[in-house]
Amino acid sequence: MTPLEILAAATNGTPAPRIPIFCNLLDQGARELGMTQREYYRKGEHVAAGQLKMNKRFGYDNVWSLFYVGKEAEFFGCDNILYAEDGSPNVGDFVIKSWDDIAKLQVPADITTHPAWAETASCLKILREEVGATHPVCAYLTASTTMPALLMGMDKWMELLMTGPADLRDHLLDLCSQFFQQEVAAYRAAGANVLVYSTPFGTHYFVGRKRFESFSMPWMKRDLAPGGINNIVYYCGMAPFNEVIPAVMDELDIAVHYISPLADLAEAKRIIESRRSQDGAAYLTCGVIDDIKLIHWTPEEARAEVKRLIEIGKPGGHFLFGTGVMPMAIPEANIKAMLDAAFEYGALS
Amino acid sequence: MLDRIIRDYNEAVFETDKDAAFEVVNNALANGLSAEDVVFKVVIPAVEVMMSDITRDPDANLAQHFMTAQIAAEVTEKMLTKFVHPPEIIGRVVIGTAAGDLHSLGKRIVMGCLKALMVEVVDLGVNVPAEKFVTEAVHYGADVIAISAMMVHTATGENGARKVRALLKEQGLEHQIRIVVGGAPYRFDNELYKTVGADGWAADGIAAGKMIVDLIRAGKTS
Repeated sequence: MTPLEILAAATNGTPAPRIPIFCNLLDQGARELGMTQREYYRKGEHVAAGQLKMNKRFGYDNVWSLFYVGKEAEFFGCDNILYAEDGSPNVGDFVIKSWDDIAKLQVPADITTHPAWAETASCLKILREEVGATHPVCAYLTASTTMPALLMGMDKWMELLMTGPADLRDHLLDLCSQFFQQEVAAYRAAGANVLVYSTPFGTHYFVGRKRFESFSMPWMKRDLAPGGINNIVYYCGMAPFNEVIPAVMDELDIAVHYISPLADLAEAKRIIESRRSQDGAAYLTCGVIDDIKLIHWTPEEARAEVKRLIEIGKPGGHFLFGTGVMPMAIPEANIKAMLDAAFEYGALS
Repeated sequence: MLDRIIRDYNEAVFETDKDAAFEVVNNALANGLSAEDVVFKVVIPAVEVMMSDITRDPDANLAQHFMTAQIAAEVTEKMLTKFVHPPEIIGRVVIGTAAGDLHSLGKRIVMGCLKALMVEVVDLGVNVPAEKFVTEAVHYGADVIAISAMMVHTATGENGARKVRALLKEQGLEHQIRIVVGGAPYRFDNELYKTVGADGWAADGIAAGKMIVDLIRAGKTS
């Protein structure tokens, strides 16, 4: 079976030789090609080449079209990205410096004609042509409620959200939601078929129960309504979100959840199964390793943690093993140990 | 009367209602409570109650941390202008985000808490070079350097806390100035702070305020 078929089998609960194994070695692609981060992320063909090489070397199931998270801010006018050689690029200067700047903010009429899209499109074209028929192609999309953090900084966004004028806040969110709706359509059209919906405000770790219901949920519905939830993965930026899974499944109908390493994986799987297993519907629980610990773990410790997670998730199927942020400081021996263990313990026949 | 003021203020803070918190304070002043009593009998105990409640409350969240710290800092700042005598400062902290890091939410929560707890805070901003942390700490006579980092490479890289530790060592300041760190990578790996040479860490901004105050007090008594 191809990785794409293995993913479909896990989601649908049909037989497969093993569980799907996802990994994200993003910045490592630059090192693999012997380039600086700035040079690597300048061209879509570099990112595609880096991702294909990492995938070939380690043999996991997916490829990523993500450059770096701050890239989405470029569509709103950000032209200052802070590069590092030991980690991910970061927004270097915020587009919104004062609340007055929000009135000047614009969403491109068609993001696919924006220069910021060109290299992403080029990367996706190569990935689709090279492995699109066999491998899941992942995209990362920031929810409207989180995008303002990339445009003005998280503390300024929190201040506007909690104490600012509601009309200004809603205007900003409306722009961000319009952008999201265009972006998800563009990624789908370009061949991405695993769409990671990054929504940290869609968890009680960021906002309380009342605000989740009155603020986060309505904006998530608005983000997702036009394009639907096909291939959408619910992800809260590594924050735990078990408490909201029932609402996310009932109100948004999202059935694929990327569980935080800080959450109780067994509980998450129980919640998801209890809502889906009766009617034979497709669903997936993604068990995610705490890959920051991989920096200093021994290969044996990495193997033991993979075994623990898979033993929790594998019974009953509908389970995927995945990674979180995969920092560049993780030794290659640990990446290999983790993935070898995932293939070994993830075998189903 | 004081009990009612404390109860109403705590309720407003817990509900993250800044207007209600200020209304309680203004009414208290109008009814004869001194600015000193507002800070020492209402605001500081409320921060301590919140530290404890937030630790126990499974529903506690970042928005609540943020508002607790902002309300406490703003009320304290306003009250300090009404003090008859300047208050005794517990200590001084310079704070910033690590080189290469622009994530400022955690720093802002910690700053709010520290201000309310009578700690003088110097905000060095974001993307702060290690050298600046040390020179400013020396300039202001800081007891603690607080370094916030949300990304793994800014938390563990050579230009963050590690370099600050090396500079303090080089200048013979290691026992005079403490280093504390915070941010997401430390939450995922609770031993990480030791590997970057920090003296302490906290899982969230509110807890960081207490940890820093304890560290300052320990340093002054040792």
